[in-house]
Amino acid sequence: MRHAQFLARTVFVHNNNVEEACRLLNRILGKEEIFDQFRRTRFYEKPFQVRRRVNFEKCKAIYNEDMNRKIQFVLRKNRVEPFPGCS
Amino acid sequence: MSMKTTVLAGFHYMRQCAHYAIAPRNSYLHTSAFLAKAEDRKEMLASLPAKDEGTIGEKSVDIDTLITRKEKFFPDASTATQLFNGIPFNELPICNIRVSPNNTIISVTDYKGVPRLIRSCGIEGFKNTRKGTNIAAQATAVSISAKAVELGWKTVRVKVRGLGPGRMSAIKGLQVGGLNIVSITDNTPVSWNPPRPRKQRSL
Repeated sequence: MRHAQFLARTVFVHNNNVEEACRLLNRILGKEEIFDQFRRTRFYEKPFQVRRRVNFEKCKAIYNEDMNRKIQFVLRKNRVEPFPGCS
Repeated sequence: MSMKTTVLAGFHYMRQCAHYAIAPRNSYLHTSAFLAKAEDRKEMLASLPAKDEGTIGEKSVDIDTLITRKEKFFPDASTATQLFNGIPFNELPICNIRVSPNNTIISVTDYKGVPRLIRSCGIEGFKNTRKGTNIAAQATAVSISAKAVELGWKTVRVKVRGLGPGRMSAIKGLQVGGLNIVSITDNTPVSWNPPRPRKQRSL
């Protein structure tokens, strides 16, 4: 994936806090699934493995969606200020 | 696995005893032995500590505190001419770190990309598997940063490429060695339609 050097995937370091900057960069790259794709393409993934992985991801997404809905349902509030004293 | 095998072994033993009483000894065919082996390996792999890839914070789900922070974390159009220690950002020397599971190579180039210094864990005196450790990466980084400071390059930008145990510790080592790191860039080559990679390792 070509990108502008030192503009894309770049994080500044503040107060010599290298670790914080690294963690931020790693978190973003992890969330964007760039590391996942990198690891996946080190070795050939056979078609049956691709199918299995994609199906698993689908199931997981459906489960997560339903679970999030349930959690939102349990946590719902029916008052003017939903969390008094928290704003 | 352990539970299952003990049960199976007990069962076989009982059958054997019964046979001894009534008939001469037969040879027994155990078909579950190789299964036990596979399960053993799975158990072993699961019990191993997670491999260090220098990606601390990859899985963390932090509440984004960046919004409340005043500092600028990401570059923009004006970054190229921004001064760091009297040098504009795009004329700062670059420190390239090439990380792999088995080695770490660090090179320092000027802003055009002409290499001036290069060190790797292998050159540093670490051999074989010891090359691919975070300690080796840190030692290499410290020694190369001392050389870079001798050249008069105190402020650098860092470019990291690849995943491996040296990823985090090399950057830390550069700082320990006396370099002032302005920014960290990830330069890992990732493609979504790559040529066919090599076949999978058989474990």
